[in-house]
Amino acid sequence: MSPDRLNATFAALADPTRRAILARLASGETSVSELAEPFEMSLPAVSKHLKVLQRAGLIARGREAQWRPCRLAAGPLKDASDWLERYRRFWEESFDRFEDYLRDLQKRELQQKEKKHGRKK
Amino acid sequence: MAAKNDLATEPADRVLVITRIFDAPRSLVFKAWTESEHMARWFGPRGFASTVLRNELRPGGAYRIHMRGPDGDDHWMQGIYREIVPPERLVMVGSWADAQGNLTRPETTLTLTFEEHDGKTKLTLHQAIFESVTARDAHQGGWTTSLDCLAEYLAAAQSSRG
Repeated sequence: MSPDRLNATFAALADPTRRAILARLASGETSVSELAEPFEMSLPAVSKHLKVLQRAGLIARGREAQWRPCRLAAGPLKDASDWLERYRRFWEESFDRFEDYLRDLQKRELQQKEKKHGRKK
Repeated sequence: MAAKNDLATEPADRVLVITRIFDAPRSLVFKAWTESEHMARWFGPRGFASTVLRNELRPGGAYRIHMRGPDGDDHWMQGIYREIVPPERLVMVGSWADAQGNLTRPETTLTLTFEEHDGKTKLTLHQAIFESVTARDAHQGGWTTSLDCLAEYLAAAQSSRG
């Protein structure tokens, strides 16, 4: 998976309207005018968002019908999730080490305190 | 993966949240997370050796960490601190980078929250992408675009919270 493609995916997802369009498409393919309805937005404005989503490969437009239905293309979204999943593993493993390190750190602090007390007596 | 269900609820939820309770006081957990000599001892997955190359712990300050994997593979992670509220909150924006310091992956916003309960510390890691993209675009655009982005950012922040 190329960084450019991931960037395109995330840039496309960085807009609430585009995320809402994707959410709508998750329940099935639909026409541009149907998509525009809930957004109080002109058709050209919605078309602009659709172009961004299409360039990022997040949606596909049908050619067969005159109304050119839009549908979701799941590939890039899966890449984005996989990418986050790798981060999850990275942090989970770091947290395991962090846990051990904090335990050692406290043990050492405790030993130093005891030494100091011992010397005072 | 149930991509369809995730989408139907809210794609803004493509955010990573990890919570862990550490058996140590909050001040120590915060210190061990932010001070270079401590970070080098635990940062990265098992088998990785980390070196903190840069760690300017102030808003706008840069950080850069080198990690060498078990197979001798090199990785760099770098970014900018945005918010530092000891010992409770840390916000930074960053990503993976190459040897020359060029980012190789999309930037993310990493928010760490430290809460103390009965001498233990609950650490919540929140890693998000959309906010970073919007914030970065805001830097590049003029005033109008910045305001647009701010509105979008607030909408996204609200929907991800709700």
